[in-house]
Formats: sequence, structure tokens, C-alpha cells
Amino acid sequence: MVEKHLIRQLKELADIQPRKDWVVLTKRRIFADEEISEAKPGLLSFFPFFRYKLALVPIISVLIIIGLFGFTQNTVPGDFLFSVKKMTEGAQVTFTSAIEKPKAHLELANKRLEELNNIAENNQVRNLDPAIKEFQANVVQATKEIMAMNVSVTTSDSMVLKDIITETQKLEENKQKVEEVLATVIGDTQDLRNAIVLLEEQLVTQLIADLENQMLTEEDEELLSEAKEHYEKEDFSQALYKIWLIHNY
Amino acid sequence: MPNSRKTYSSIYDKYVDKIYRFVVLKVKSQEIAEDLTSEVFLRGWQSFKEKKDKIENMQAFLYQIARNLLADHYRQSSKAQLVSVEYAPITDSSQDLEEKAFLRSDLEQVKAALANINEDYREVIIWYYLDELKVPEIAKMLDKSEGTTRVLIHRALKTLRNELK
Repeated sequence: MVEKHLIRQLKELADIQPRKDWVVLTKRRIFADEEISEAKPGLLSFFPFFRYKLALVPIISVLIIIGLFGFTQNTVPGDFLFSVKKMTEGAQVTFTSAIEKPKAHLELANKRLEELNNIAENNQVRNLDPAIKEFQANVVQATKEIMAMNVSVTTSDSMVLKDIITETQKLEENKQKVEEVLATVIGDTQDLRNAIVLLEEQLVTQLIADLENQMLTEEDEELLSEAKEHYEKEDFSQALYKIWLIHNY
Repeated sequence: MPNSRKTYSSIYDKYVDKIYRFVVLKVKSQEIAEDLTSEVFLRGWQSFKEKKDKIENMQAFLYQIARNLLADHYRQSSKAQLVSVEYAPITDSSQDLEEKAFLRSDLEQVKAALANINEDYREVIIWYYLDELKVPEIAKMLDKSEGTTRVLIHRALKTLRNELK
């Protein structure tokens, strides 16, 4: 059954109604033998107030300044001052918006991969295990942030989501290279891949629905049609690629 | 009429058809649907009297009561959730008899297919296509993100379409 016809049929089911006499009798039953009582006014409700982490701001600012002076720029996991670098990076992530947090964590994960590459080249064996753990932690955090996302249709959000997907592809490529160099698996990114597929599916569903309500050129209609074909085959990344061509991303 | 009763009376008039439809598409008989729907509104009234100011979304609240009662009903009856095809009268006088007959057979198929898909899919189809609730409303009731809810709706329709093949 064609989808539009099915939807029309479903809307016909909306005509299902209860018996009129039952509706009237039930209403009477609900209010029968009830004592009349007015609801008392509630207590004063407190407006929620915003808590600013004021105590942390100057500490974080100092740490950011330290980072800026480059004291910790070249440290890698396992080094004494790496924890300071990590706190600086963490502070930067804290002040990003919710939708950009996954990208920030993915960028950190990619940074850890670069460090792992350097560690391998310089034969810094004692730094290897901490670096792998840091990489895995960033991947886990990025995955959690992506799973918690609420996909939105605004243009800027859509571009951020594109960046997230691109950053993840970059991470997978870099991870593979590092694993070849180290001749060892440095972590499982299956959960991240699953989260990205779900994100792509959500994004494609929304973008296709939006495009269907817009006036498109013939060329864009063709691209939309191709996107829908990919979507039906559950090839969401290809569907997104077609949609991004329509949006000229 | 005191304010609470008047307000709840309006709420009843506004939602009784929707709640009844939601329930009747999930249970075996019209009688059971009527009993459960009555119970929904009775319980709704009790809660409304006690915590009227704390109920943000009355529609969602009533749907939740309906879902809970249906869950209890399924547990007690321990039977599959079947659509009561013959007990869900559709009232629409806008078409002629032949077209009505054609549509009715199609509709019966759709109702039967609806009975065969899983509970989650059936719920979102009823809410989105029949009750015309918006995605944010449905997401809130299911305690899921809007994106996940959209995907759920899409998958539900696809599953229903496959059931009708």
C-alpha cells in the first residue's frame, strides 16, 4: 500500500467515536456523589534560579591562562603536567554549547590519536597505556553526548551535526593508522559508530520531511529523490550526502 | 458548578473521544474499552482534584493513565492485544454507499494490520496520525528525544505498510 494512501486510511480511523449515551452517562458517574470542594491555592512556588559556578570561573580562567602560555602544550598522557593540559581542555569543552560538545570530545579524541602517533614514533613506552586510556575515555564521552542529543532543524545545528559526522570519520581513519603503527587495537568504537548511525537516521528523517515541504528546483528534486532511495535502503550517510548537496554544505 | 468540576468537565468533553479511540484500538471489545475509558477519567478526576496545578499537560496525563490501565488489563487477561474490528464503528456520512463499502474493507485491513504490529509502533501511529499530536508532545509522553520519536514514527509506518503487503 502506498504510503500516502495508508496515511489517508489511518486518518479515517480518527472517525472512531464512543457511543453518545455512554459519553453522557460516564460524565454523570464521574461527578456523582462527589463533594464539592475547591482546590486550595497552592503555596507560593519558587522560580528556579540559575546557579553560576562563580567559584570555579577564576580557577578555570587561571588554568586556561597557564595552558595559553604553553607550559603544558607539548605534554602527553602519562607526563606530570598532562593533568593540567587535560583540565584546560576540559574547561574549553565546558563552555561549548550542548550541540557542539560531541564535536569537542571527538576533536580531543583525535588529538589523543595524534599524541599516540608521536608516542609510537618516539618510542615513549611508559606513555602508551595512559594515552590509550585517555583516547578511550574521550570516545566514550563523545558517544554519550551524541546519544543524548536532541536533533534540531536549524541550519547552524545541521552544520554542527555535519561536523560531528565528519570528525567521527576522521577519527576512524586516524585510529586505523595508529593501530597499524602500534600493531594493536586501541579501543572499540562500535558504540560510537552506532550512535552516529542513529544520529544520521534522525537527521535524515527530519531533513527529508522539511525538504518535502519546500519548493525545490528540478535538480534538487532529483537529489531529494536519490536521498530518499538511500534512506529506504538505510544508507543514511549517502542520503545525508545528497541532502547536503541540496543545502550546498 | 464549582470551578474544578467545570474545568474537568471541559477536559472530559475535549479528550473523551481521543482516549476512547486510543483504548478501543488496543482491546478486544467495545465494553472493555468503555470500562477502561471510564476508569481513566475517574482516576483523572481524583488526581485533578488533588493536584490540578501540578498537571502541566492534561492530555499527556490522561494518556499515561490509559497506558497504565491497559498494561494492567493485559496482565490480567494475558491475551494478545487485538483490535476490536467489529466494535469500532466509524461514523462518516460524507461518501456514497459503494465508496463507503470499498473504504470500509480497506479500513478493516488497516485496523487488523494495526493489531499485528508491536505496541510501541501502534501507540505512535495512533498519536501521530489519528490524534494528530505533535512530535514534541509524543516524545515527552514516551520520555524519548524528538529525533528518536521521529524515527520511531517512520519505522512504525513502514512496519504497518509491510504488514499490509
